[in-house]
Amino acid sequence: MPLFWRVCLINGAVFLLGTLALALSPATVSAQPLLSELVVLLLGLTVIVLLNGALLRTVLRPLDRLTAVTGQIDLRHPGLRLDEDGSGPARPLVRGFNAMLERLELERSTSTARALRAQEAERQRIAQELHDEVGQSLTAVLLGLRHAMDSAPEPVRAELDELRGTTRASLEEVRRIAQRLRPGDLTDLGLISALAGLARATSARNGPRVRRRLPTSVPDLPSATELVIYRVAQEALTNVVRHARAESVDLGLTLSDGRLVLRVVDDGVGIPRGAMGAGIQGMLERARMVGGVLDVRAREDRRGGSGTEVRLSLPLPRRAEP
Amino acid sequence: MTVRVLLADDHTLVRSGVRRILEAEPGLEVVAEASDGAEAVELTRSVRPDLAVLDVSMPRLTGLQAAREISRRVPGVRTLILSMHDNEQYFFAALKAGASGYVLKSAADEDLVEACHAAMRGEPFLYAGVTSTLVGDFLERMRRGDSAPRAVLTPREEEVIKLIAEGHTSRQIAAELVISHKTVERHRANILTKLGMRDRTEMTRYAIRAGLVEP
Repeated sequence: MPLFWRVCLINGAVFLLGTLALALSPATVSAQPLLSELVVLLLGLTVIVLLNGALLRTVLRPLDRLTAVTGQIDLRHPGLRLDEDGSGPARPLVRGFNAMLERLELERSTSTARALRAQEAERQRIAQELHDEVGQSLTAVLLGLRHAMDSAPEPVRAELDELRGTTRASLEEVRRIAQRLRPGDLTDLGLISALAGLARATSARNGPRVRRRLPTSVPDLPSATELVIYRVAQEALTNVVRHARAESVDLGLTLSDGRLVLRVVDDGVGIPRGAMGAGIQGMLERARMVGGVLDVRAREDRRGGSGTEVRLSLPLPRRAEP
Repeated sequence: MTVRVLLADDHTLVRSGVRRILEAEPGLEVVAEASDGAEAVELTRSVRPDLAVLDVSMPRLTGLQAAREISRRVPGVRTLILSMHDNEQYFFAALKAGASGYVLKSAADEDLVEACHAAMRGEPFLYAGVTSTLVGDFLERMRRGDSAPRAVLTPREEEVIKLIAEGHTSRQIAAELVISHKTVERHRANILTKLGMRDRTEMTRYAIRAGLVEP
């Protein structure tokens, strides 16, 4: 029954009760009400108000709970729902609210996934163009300068040599930007090599020593999943270099119980409370996109050391044995 | 004897640039050009060059795939990979594909000719970045006492190896130590021999053992 009719019915029933009491009881009210009559009337009124209040309360309390929950809703932490069974008369409303949350969360995760996919596609396109157009043209310029140098008179030669240095630096810069935008080694050499390269590059940039614990091979994964694993490792290692002041990091990938688990564990200063930045949020979104679970927590260490552990767990795609 | 070279790159300007550099060098002659990996393999089979210079990223077959095909089908032909990627994983992938060397495009103007000669001598060509990775890793292992050097390096070689490990090019090392570029190259070759990294297979094996590359 709709809430409006429920409230009307309760009020009507209470009024009916009062009317019946007046009509059927021998009580009368004089034209000039006596004090005793007023006391009886007041008592009756109090009974009616209390009864009405108590009855309406059962109907309306779930609404208050609903209001409280709406204040707590945060789509970044999905999964919060109202108890439908304990909602009594407000059940349809609660059910509608829960269904709405469901739709919102679904919509949010699909639109985040869409946004991330669009971002990756765009990055890939830019990287491709940088690599194929700008990079190749600069290579041609570099080679041309070298060739021109060989036949140029001495004063021009020094100038050409300088230009060659600039061209080389630009070429390296273009390559670096392209690699950051799109990990070319991931598509060319596969996930394991790409992760190994990432570890090496992190150590080489004056970062902490990265110990690799990578299997020699992994089952074939969808490229979207490989990209998520790579990006999470990349983001986690970037965070370690920027914030952790760590001496060493373990980068591990393991296969167990039909799940693939990526772990990045450092021995740094740990994450201060409330310091979860956009980077970690991005990792969470990416993990969710491919059905994975991401967990960022203080490192487990019996010797009381500090540090951070980033753990990404993904279900392996099921496939029939060939 | 002239070395006959096949050139494969999907970018025409780069191809003609490389061609000019190679042809300016006496003893090198570009006999065929391909614009993708599959064409490179076909031309290699028909033209039979001494050396194939392959761009790492090409349509149809990548440079690595083409190198693998060539070393399987036309084993006498040496291959060199030309690449944008300053990443030792690509270098080892190239060696595994049977290539004799790996030249960075950003250093192609200086390294390419040298790499062609090294390939024809049957030596792996190491670009500056990968040499420093290998040598740095080797020094680190020596410090930890994992393995002793096979032969003691001379003081001069130690100076050179330190500079290599820091990522300096042969030319920079020559300037730093006031010796000729050729001398640096000789020191570098000697060091690699002493470290047991002279030969391509040996080096791949070392890299796998050291965990620099996954088998």
